[in-house]
Amino acid sequence: MIKVKIEKQNAKYKKITILGHAMYDDYGKDIACAAASSIVITTVNGILSLDKGSLSYLVSKKGMSIDIKSTDSTTQLLINNMVSLLKELEKNYSENIEVK
Amino acid sequence: MKLLKLDIQLFAHHKGQGSTSNGRDSIGRRLGAKAADGEFIKAGSIIYRQRGTKIFPGVNVRRGNDDSLYTTVDGVVKYERLGRSKKQASCYPVSE
Repeated sequence: MIKVKIEKQNAKYKKITILGHAMYDDYGKDIACAAASSIVITTVNGILSLDKGSLSYLVSKKGMSIDIKSTDSTTQLLINNMVSLLKELEKNYSENIEVK
Repeated sequence: MKLLKLDIQLFAHHKGQGSTSNGRDSIGRRLGAKAADGEFIKAGSIIYRQRGTKIFPGVNVRRGNDDSLYTTVDGVVKYERLGRSKKQASCYPVSE
């Protein structure tokens, strides 16, 4: 199961950690993982395209952690959109992703 | 910070490629007809190699212990019906 942990500071997104595997199906056929990966990668690349310094990420075998340095509204809005999409994904694939 | 590569299986489980315990097969036994209908063959020649009795032994034909059909006389091979749904192979000597 993918576990998404959200950390806020002063009601602003500070850090998001995404650990684990969706385990929906074999590698290459895991649609739950594909959805989660696409949502996260699209958001991160979108924010970096706007401002290279607004966040930093670390990808490892265990998963990914995103440190959000910027508190500007665009970055926060895009992260918020990502979180709400992951929550929506959780509704349909509650055994494969958990957002806290 | 560079952009992420779009790996849509980023959070997928990298299960090792499953191995299969299948993948073995025996060599083909080259069964089937060894003499065609109407063909002249010598006594002792194999007419039909088979497992079980797909084709039954007919006139002047016997069944070996591996179920192969062979002729006991020189003659012409004939594949005939045997009852409603069976077949037999016979060998009729050619009158000189």
